[in-house]
Amino acid sequence: MDRERTDSGVGIAARGDRFDARRFSHEAMATVFEVHAVHPDERYAAQAAQAAFELVDRLEGELSRFRPNSDIARINHLAAGGSTRVGASTMECLVIARHMFDLTAGAFDVSIGSGLPSLELNPEGFLVRATADGVQIDLGGIGKGYAVDRMADLLGEWGLERALVHGGFSSVLALEAPAGRDGWPLTLSDPADPSRVLAALTVRQMALGASGMRKGGHIVDPFTGEPARGRRAAWVAVPRPTVSASAAATDAPPPRAAAVTDALTTAFMLMSLEAIEALCNRSPGLEAWMLPEPDADLMGQVSLLHFGGNGPGYTSTSS
Amino acid sequence: MDEGKLSRWPMIAITVLRVAVGWHFLYEGIAKLSSPSWSAAGYLKQARGPFAELFKWLANNPNQLANADLITMWGLTAVGVLLILGLFTRLASLGAIGFILLFYLCNPPFVGYFYSIPTEGSYLIVNKNLVELCALLVILVTGSGTFAGLDRIVHGLIRRR
Amino acid sequence: MAGDGEQDKKPAQAGNKGLGRLSRRDVLAGLSTVPALGLFGYAWNQQHKYQQAKADAAAASPGAAANVQEINIALLGAGAQGQVLTDSMLRIPGLRFRAVCDVWTEYNQKRVVNQLKKFNHSPNAYEDYREMLDKEKELDAVVIATPDFWHSRHAVDCLKAGKHVYCEKEMSNRLEGARAMVAAARDTGKLLQIGHQRRSNPRYLHCYEKLLREAKLLGRVVTISGQWNRALAPDLGAPDRYKIPEPRLKQYGFKDMHQFRNWRWYRGLGGGPIVDLGSHQIDIYGWFLGANPTGVMASGGTLYHDPATHEWYDTAMVVYDFDTPAGPVKAFYQTQTTNGSQGYFENFMGDQGTLLISESEVYGAKLYRDPNAPAWDTWVQQGYITAPKLQEIKEKTEGVTDVRESVSPDEHKVSIVLRDPYHQPHLQNFFDTVRGKGKLNCPAEVAYESAVAVLKVNEAIEAKSRLAFRPEDFRI
Repeated sequence: MDRERTDSGVGIAARGDRFDARRFSHEAMATVFEVHAVHPDERYAAQAAQAAFELVDRLEGELSRFRPNSDIARINHLAAGGSTRVGASTMECLVIARHMFDLTAGAFDVSIGSGLPSLELNPEGFLVRATADGVQIDLGGIGKGYAVDRMADLLGEWGLERALVHGGFSSVLALEAPAGRDGWPLTLSDPADPSRVLAALTVRQMALGASGMRKGGHIVDPFTGEPARGRRAAWVAVPRPTVSASAAATDAPPPRAAAVTDALTTAFMLMSLEAIEALCNRSPGLEAWMLPEPDADLMGQVSLLHFGGNGPGYTSTSS
Repeated sequence: MDEGKLSRWPMIAITVLRVAVGWHFLYEGIAKLSSPSWSAAGYLKQARGPFAELFKWLANNPNQLANADLITMWGLTAVGVLLILGLFTRLASLGAIGFILLFYLCNPPFVGYFYSIPTEGSYLIVNKNLVELCALLVILVTGSGTFAGLDRIVHGLIRRR
Repeated sequence: MAGDGEQDKKPAQAGNKGLGRLSRRDVLAGLSTVPALGLFGYAWNQQHKYQQAKADAAAASPGAAANVQEINIALLGAGAQGQVLTDSMLRIPGLRFRAVCDVWTEYNQKRVVNQLKKFNHSPNAYEDYREMLDKEKELDAVVIATPDFWHSRHAVDCLKAGKHVYCEKEMSNRLEGARAMVAAARDTGKLLQIGHQRRSNPRYLHCYEKLLREAKLLGRVVTISGQWNRALAPDLGAPDRYKIPEPRLKQYGFKDMHQFRNWRWYRGLGGGPIVDLGSHQIDIYGWFLGANPTGVMASGGTLYHDPATHEWYDTAMVVYDFDTPAGPVKAFYQTQTTNGSQGYFENFMGDQGTLLISESEVYGAKLYRDPNAPAWDTWVQQGYITAPKLQEIKEKTEGVTDVRESVSPDEHKVSIVLRDPYHQPHLQNFFDTVRGKGKLNCPAEVAYESAVAVLKVNEAIEAKSRLAFRPEDFRI
């Protein structure tokens, strides 16, 4: 099968019978964001994708700790007792990050052990207050997913429903499938051996996150301060709830499926398999695939572990 | 031992040492007590050395961690006050030695171990914790509290004729 | 008594003051270290007070809006730039949004109103700005971010209605419009600040006041170079389902939805990239030199885009002449929308040093001292510039030093960092002045001088010859 080679092990399979998806790319957040959309008007689709990319750029300006005047950089310079006002996107990310921190018992920690609980969040007032010195936030583990969620909402406003959005293939959000199909065809492969496809998925209205050992990169375990060991890759899928009209009318924040999967894949690289299984069992729709480090004794055998039940709009075949 | 004491100036020096160590402990204790959300967890999670697993287990166990935090905060404060006042000096010295031993073992500067907590200075097995521990040994065996401290009053009051 | 701190206590002797078996010496020695505890308590208290004061100072800036007099504002123009300004204003304490006015009621207006509601404002929504001025009784200031060809009418009407005005640049797409704005501000006595936000940017202020005026680090500036290169991007579009009906578009001066979204490219509505992008930086040229240009020549054209939808020039290269007290200066400026190489910056080149500055916080400001210039050590010590990062001496592969290449000069930086969104300091400056606690950094008269210099470029491109300025051109 022809496929994109990526470090995250996720790719879009191009089968024999192609559908005409238009493809637009944009560099941001140290990766390449892409919009794949099926739409009769090339120009309109390009304009919609451009609007989505401009949104990503604006989000990067607010969320990146490498921009000296972003909300996050300002938070990282707070002294104990200091507080600052942040924008709605920043607060949303921080609230999700805190929720995931609690959900994963600290395995997902945007403060990398520097004390996330000592950051007081006031969501109504959009205020962030540091109760201790030295808290450093890095939204790298959730920012791309959040951007992908926002991009998908914007594409929906433009009427580009048959689309797939991703950030570096480590955060993928599939909206509606191309006409006449059940879903977008994705493949999961071993990041160390991309030619080997471990699972083929057909997804629609679903977010898929991927964490893998990238060359030279690592996920830092907030408990030990050292790179995580024992896992080669983790993928997490969460259905994207279609917001009903009544829900949209209320103030309830829309669910950010891609942000959640982004966070969970980072956490699952560190959590024990038992904890992962427990979390998947009590969260309907949550699904995970884990690729552990191969045993020294086993030769070339790659076992893909699968947790969680089948959610709506998902079929899989494992190879 | 009450007999065979050191002469006056050495004892004054040791008293000064005792007050200084006590002050240090008291400050450590009160700083943690007054900080809104201090926990030993961060420190424990960075543990290295032969007992690292034990410290990390402690960090991940919320109930035990809470107990450890309380004991640490109040223990340091109590030890500090007692040493400054020279009251129950021996007991306080033993307690202080216990604390320092734990801190030292949590992050020992043995050759070959890699620090994750950046520290100032360069150390080879002997770091400031160990030096303070030795100071407490001196305080322990020289009975400075009974020379210049409330222990002197207490001893005087309970002494049988 | 000198002696050995013996523990062998003598039984209480007659005449010996003390408690029971204790001699006075015992009691005194026993209590001797208690004062140390008192000293600790005092020191702790002092430190605690200091930390508390520090924490209070830190908490005082944002969030604590208790002592700040609230200003009622309206946003006129909720498009891309209006949203950027709103994002900044939401981080400034003491502002109350009373109204949002935009003709795109289905999309932009609704989005901004909803955003403001999340932040606990309850603005009224308007399509017609005159209705807003009529109905909103408690309005102190209006922030205008509508297309350039609307600026003059909007600003003048708001000023005449008694409101202070912050108006985005360019002041107007035509000089007559800009003149009307200056006149209205003078007549009404209300404040009019134009959105050249670099005029309040702390790094720019530092470079201008400390490095150029005070330290004169660059020596005599003889040439300037600047650019804004922007990468190719599709024209702006709009979601199908939110298109504005044609009658409304025409009512507000747009022939169709495409022109509504891309007004900057059309004659009579905007001025093209040289006005959109260049006006910021050409304003800096005049500010830093303290002079207005004496002449300009420019070359440009619609080299790439479709002239039917891009009536203005997509590429422009401009040369200004300035006459400063120190001597003549030539300043080059370039803008293009087909390639983003090197982004945006201004480069001031003097006989003693170079200042390379950009609004981008990632880039910052860099200074290079000419090797023959006097040392900059005093300024480094005072913190005006950082100590230099020494450039590596390039290895010569051939044995002979190439005399045409000079040794790379040391690179200094400026340690001022802006931690807020780019437009926030300028908006803050406006609102501070509204409260009577400051002076506008870019009042209308000052912005008018920039407008004269900038709007001449399109004329010069058309004329294909050097156009001269007279000093009276810049005054009203």
